[in-house]
Amino acid sequence: MNDMRIAERVVDSMESKITARGVQVFYGQNHALKDVDVDILDKTVTAFIGPSGCGKSTFLRCLNRMNDTIDGCVVKGSIKIDSEDIYDPKVDPVQLRAKVGMVFQKPNPFPKSIYDNVAYGPKIHGLTRNKAELDEVVETSLRRAALWNEAKDRLKSPGTGLSGGQQQRLCIARAIATSPEVLLMDEPCSALDPIATAQIEELIDELRSQFSVVIVTHSMQQAARVSQRTAFFHLGYLVEFGETGQIFTNPKDPRTESYITGRIG
Amino acid sequence: MSAGLLSLTVLALAIAGYILGRRRAVSVAGGDARKLHSLPSYHGQSVFLFTAVPAFILMIFWLLAQPVYIENRVTALIPNIEADDAAARELAMADVRRVASGLDLAIAQGALRQADLDTLQAGATDLRGKLAGVGVALGADVSQYTFEAAREYRALKGSLGIGMAVAVLAAAAVGFAFAWSRISVAFRARNVSESFVIAMLIGASLVAVLTTFGIVFSLVFETWHFFELYPARDFFLSTTWSPKFGGGSSLGILPLLWGTLYVSVIALLVAVPIGLLSAIYLSEYASRRFRTFVKPLIEILAGIPTIVYGLFALITVGPLLRDWFAQPMGLGNSSSSVMTAGIVMGIMVIPFVSSLSDDIINAVPQSMRDGSLGLGATPSETIRKVVLPAALPGVVGAILLAASRAIGETMIVVMGAGAAARLSMNPFEAMTTVTVKIVSQLTGDTEFGSPETLVAFALGLTLFIITLGLNVVALAIVRKYREQYE
Ligand SMILES: Nc1ncnc2c1ncn2[C@@H]1O[C@H](COP(=O)(O)OP(=O)(O)OP(=O)(O)O)[C@@H](O)[C@H]1O
Ligand SMILES: [Mg+2]
Repeated sequence: MNDMRIAERVVDSMESKITARGVQVFYGQNHALKDVDVDILDKTVTAFIGPSGCGKSTFLRCLNRMNDTIDGCVVKGSIKIDSEDIYDPKVDPVQLRAKVGMVFQKPNPFPKSIYDNVAYGPKIHGLTRNKAELDEVVETSLRRAALWNEAKDRLKSPGTGLSGGQQQRLCIARAIATSPEVLLMDEPCSALDPIATAQIEELIDELRSQFSVVIVTHSMQQAARVSQRTAFFHLGYLVEFGETGQIFTNPKDPRTESYITGRIG
Repeated sequence: MSAGLLSLTVLALAIAGYILGRRRAVSVAGGDARKLHSLPSYHGQSVFLFTAVPAFILMIFWLLAQPVYIENRVTALIPNIEADDAAARELAMADVRRVASGLDLAIAQGALRQADLDTLQAGATDLRGKLAGVGVALGADVSQYTFEAAREYRALKGSLGIGMAVAVLAAAAVGFAFAWSRISVAFRARNVSESFVIAMLIGASLVAVLTTFGIVFSLVFETWHFFELYPARDFFLSTTWSPKFGGGSSLGILPLLWGTLYVSVIALLVAVPIGLLSAIYLSEYASRRFRTFVKPLIEILAGIPTIVYGLFALITVGPLLRDWFAQPMGLGNSSSSVMTAGIVMGIMVIPFVSSLSDDIINAVPQSMRDGSLGLGATPSETIRKVVLPAALPGVVGAILLAASRAIGETMIVVMGAGAAARLSMNPFEAMTTVTVKIVSQLTGDTEFGSPETLVAFALGLTLFIITLGLNVVALAIVRKYREQYE
């Protein structure tokens, strides 16, 4: 863990984008998240780390109400985005998800062409006025997701025909094409080679200038490289949350320390 | 030895082979089964299979060939003057078989003795009376040649029966000895039993395939006969269907094909929207409890006997359509109509569409829906833009299967649409389909060799080719769909 290069920690804004208080999640009898309080700042990258099964993806799915689609999943507590409670009955989850984009843990391109995959979000939300604008959105999204060079000659071929890592970048391109305000990324680099990983990390850093990014990762180095805030989850509890530099150099909780030095997890 | 007893003996031998083979394998390995290439039970299995399978195969072929052989030999004994054509010969042979079985019974009950039989003259003794005494009533006195043929029949049957027993037991013994001698530490009994399993599976599928070929072959054969008697051009291109028993009939398939297509199209127009929409509701919106409750209920529709649907068409739907639609609109006053049969048939095939589509829609991975919902699409956008396109090939397959079911349906058409062949656009008129005409041509009183009867085979073959084509298309589409997700 010596090569940990700590990223620039300057946070552009101290405004809180998402505030979660006392979040509890149950899958039937399984109490998956216990009393989680998190503040996600605007224009910041927040990393979620923790051992497998500790509830990182679960918490991420609470932030755009994707848990609604799981049978028997109950979410308690309050989550506010721009001080509006997203679990309020008045909130339309469909609208919310357009605002809070998500890249899933497993790449899930639609069985459509690469172009249609990326154009899907802009089309349903009517973000572009004509074909030329749509083409441009597709191209910039693919470029930012570091897929343009590989995909530009095969935009019409199915997205499912790409390699695993390419599919993951396609999903990233698909998510940013909708220009969300918050981007949730669940292990976006788990299937990528070091070069593509570096490109995605660059993208994440670039995205930070426009919106807040939450990234789940199993790589301490990655968390240290890209994030300004880090949250450590363990067995459904949020153990520690703070400045990335502080978490990695001077953790307050012994569990955090054992995890980042490789003793638990 | 009877076939039943013989099979039991072979089976007993094979089981003994299993136990002994197992034991021998262990002893060859010096009591340490780990030294063997295969587990001892595989050695036992190999002995079992080599003992039983060849013996049973031999027995089956023997049992199939024996009657043919005996028949040929005995028929030769019947003088040509007594039976000059095939039908008369068949009758004479029936007599011979009857007398032979009577003789068997008589000997079994002690009314006759085997030794007497060789010297017996049919005319001298009252054979008819003797056989009647053991419960075999004959229509006439037994003639000398029938008696002799029956005697020959029995003799052949007896000696061939013994021959079979000897041959089968010998096969079992040879198989046993062969497998037994192969047992050794290095013998790959596991692979042998694996190959046997494969051979058995291939055999089973061959039976299915050969049966299909047999059916097609018989259809083709009779159709060929038909086209020798009736010009194929008229059959495929004539627009009238009016079979006259006694010749001079016009047998054009077009009105029947038209009726078939018309009824099937109406059936699909009913079944596809209802089936597909309910499948979407069940798989995407309904709660799990509702789904487990409702899906079997819809599937029950497929289990209702078609005659019940026929009654429903005849008594309820037909008169209803006539009184509320056909008559007020001046489209006729027949209660049997294409519409009646089509609607009722549509109800019948709803579960084919809904149940299959539901399974197919469910097979679309949840991650597809998550991806779409996660981009801010509504559930119905997700279904229209992601789920249905992904499931479409499978859904089309389901629809085609429903279509071939509708095309083959008979009972509902007879009771709902009537039996009058007609080329008409009016959906409230009575029409009929290919299948209905097949039934009515075959159940008529005409001679089997006449074109009026044989046309049934040509109709059947045409229908078979149409449904086969649909099924091939459906299967190809479904296969293509599978490639996408597995
Ligand atoms: N759909 C579900 N139904 C029931 N239980 C679930 C479901 N999804 C997650 N869980 C449970 O919730 C807990 C947290 O799971 P979660 O997927 O959030 O873990 P994670 O931290 O993302 O792990 P990983 O790093 O392996 O992705 C686990 O115990 C898991 O079994
Ligand atoms: Mg996860």
